[in-house]
Amino acid sequence: MDVLLNEDEEMIRDSVRHFFEAECAMPRVRGIEDGDQRSDPELWRQLAELGWLGLALPAVYGGSEAPFTQLALLFEEAGRALAPVPLHPHSVAALTLAEAVERGDCGGLAETLLSDACLGSNLLTWAWSERLPNIRPEAIELSAVADGNGWRLQGGKRFVEAFELADYCLVAARTDATGTSREGITLLLVEPGAAGVSSTPQLSLAGDYHSEVRFDNVYVEGDALVGRVDEGWALAQPMLERAMVLNCALIVGATRRAAERAFDYAKERIAFGHPIGSFQAIQHTCADMITWVDGAELLTREAAWHIAQGMEAALPAAAAKAFTNERCQAVLREANQIQGGYAQVKEYDQQLWYRRAAAWSMRLGTSIEHRRTIAHAIGL
Amino acid sequence: MDFGFSEENEGFRAEVRAFVAEHVSAEIVQEMHAADAGADVGPLTGALIRKIGDRGWIGMSWPVEYGGRDADIIDQYIFEEELARARVPLNLGNFIEQAPAIMKAGTEAQKKYFLPRLVQGEVTFALGYTEPSGGTDLASLKTRAVEDEDGFVINGQKVFTTRAERSSHIYLMARTDPDAAKHRGISIFLVPMDTPGITVRPLWTLPGGRTNEVFFENVRVPKDTLLGEKNGGWNIGASALNLGRAGARRYCIYVSPFEDLLKYLREDDIGQEIAADPVVQDKVAELYCEAQVARLFTMRSLSMVRRGIHPPYEISSEKIWGPEFQVRTTEAASQILGDYHQLWEGQAAPNGGSFPRQYVNAMVSTFGHGSTQVMRTAIARRGLALPKD
Repeated sequence: MDVLLNEDEEMIRDSVRHFFEAECAMPRVRGIEDGDQRSDPELWRQLAELGWLGLALPAVYGGSEAPFTQLALLFEEAGRALAPVPLHPHSVAALTLAEAVERGDCGGLAETLLSDACLGSNLLTWAWSERLPNIRPEAIELSAVADGNGWRLQGGKRFVEAFELADYCLVAARTDATGTSREGITLLLVEPGAAGVSSTPQLSLAGDYHSEVRFDNVYVEGDALVGRVDEGWALAQPMLERAMVLNCALIVGATRRAAERAFDYAKERIAFGHPIGSFQAIQHTCADMITWVDGAELLTREAAWHIAQGMEAALPAAAAKAFTNERCQAVLREANQIQGGYAQVKEYDQQLWYRRAAAWSMRLGTSIEHRRTIAHAIGL
Repeated sequence: MDFGFSEENEGFRAEVRAFVAEHVSAEIVQEMHAADAGADVGPLTGALIRKIGDRGWIGMSWPVEYGGRDADIIDQYIFEEELARARVPLNLGNFIEQAPAIMKAGTEAQKKYFLPRLVQGEVTFALGYTEPSGGTDLASLKTRAVEDEDGFVINGQKVFTTRAERSSHIYLMARTDPDAAKHRGISIFLVPMDTPGITVRPLWTLPGGRTNEVFFENVRVPKDTLLGEKNGGWNIGASALNLGRAGARRYCIYVSPFEDLLKYLREDDIGQEIAADPVVQDKVAELYCEAQVARLFTMRSLSMVRRGIHPPYEISSEKIWGPEFQVRTTEAASQILGDYHQLWEGQAAPNGGSFPRQYVNAMVSTFGHGSTQVMRTAIARRGLALPKD
């Protein structure tokens, strides 16, 4: 029992932070947000070169096989830096491919994609949500009907990150609608450029794009299968848990930085002849902010630790996400309040953290949904 | 990061659990509750404390030279947690709260006298800090200790001095230099409670327990009751207080109303009907998340102390989050259980009437041992380096 970072963890945290501080200044973040590229290819190349795209992927594909806890720390730093690259969807998809291969349930395509994923020579994403904004199995309606060796997909996905940039998208489809909602789900790799796929990118509060994707009689070959037919939930559940925890890490990293900016501002801003940080109203707000973001960080790291240990993670991941979504929004709100009018001004940087961390807290299941999971898990 | 307990830790937990099952009877717990409500400390309690002391479980993480076992501080946590989880109302943490200050600032003679006796439960301290004119602003205390040839003469009054009636000593903060800046003229004394001139008057509290006022009238003490340097007491006292705000017992107090609520909703017929409401489930799940944060804050303080890091603000966060969580829980429980929540006793009272007790207890947590407002100021100043003016 020692919830603080160990030496390896401090090292990865520090080196990632130094890298982003040196390479990912706010003009670069703004440049990607305002431009047409939607991702920074140079930053992506650098991350690949440093071995961080394969940090938690198997060594056999060129990864470092670091524990998931270290990947979560990398995500805290990516969130802190607002790194304008699709690290989250790429990692979620790649980790799921790796798990499928490890279970012996995946063919050659996944292995090729994993090698490229470590090198950064491809970009992977994933697609889960459809009509309802939740991550439950009953959300999956996109149909995949067996056809020869492969499947034909009919339906749609929403809120897909980096879809047009990606080489492959890991799609959750329903191959059997007769059983319970958990049965009959199958994970399939689909190329965004395949015949019958159409997509519309939609601008989000974070400044990135989430696509509305249509699959109209889209054919995928048999090697597109990831995991087992109809048993995709077995891979999807841990995939969603990892996605939630990495999302929490992004939120925590960005929120902590937004809070620190507010603390710095409170030390410098003079009102009535004193720095506003000397007023108790401001001091006590700041004390709450650091307490809340620390709480979110500890819950997130504990959930990451459960995943790294191969332990049951549904409950800690839900607790981390339910708490982080709401408490980090509260921290951001107070950070804005301390900085007053500047918080709303586009050329002032605060909004960059605020918009992203807030938008991230709207993804991968609401606090209400996660509390339902918790209530069930604790026997209510 | 390691969020799990080691096999050795779990082995020790099993040992403590077996001890509690064998040696802590309902009769003993009853006797302890009676003592908290004003009765004399009973013989069963004393015997139990001796058994615990014989096993070396009081002050077990101390160095061997001071009577400890140099044990893992995590084991100390586990020991306290297991007692608290068994709802044994015995606060052994209080027995030894002043020990680190004695180790740090005491003379060899003081260490030799007090430390082994603290470990055996023979010496117990009441905390003589707060006065009628100041608790939060502790440094403005008025109790005077005037030095003469033989020692010191103490005059003044303390308040909210819990366990003063059954402690062997008081850990007393008094002013020794009225002309110095207010933090600089304070000293700490280790004063036997049976010294002539000390009188104790009870103050009965809502949760059903007793605290006290303690009056000092020309109390004459020898020079060797002084702990550390004369006029140097502020720094000794403040560090002891900070560590006293963390740990297993407090964590268990913070989360016990939540655990009682969850148990009732899961196991009682009426509780199950109440818990079928998804709005109730949502609220309870929210409290569950907050309880985990309380646990993790305690684990963080423990991890830091174990590494020899003096937490700059983390213990204050723990001391805000835990008590306020406790209050939020009891208020939520009151609206979930409604009429049942108010019952102290009777057949219909859930959990033997623990809920109203928890409700008024929670109030004490947010101001006892440092109010949450003071904690917030400490976080802002010490943790975030926000300016004083």
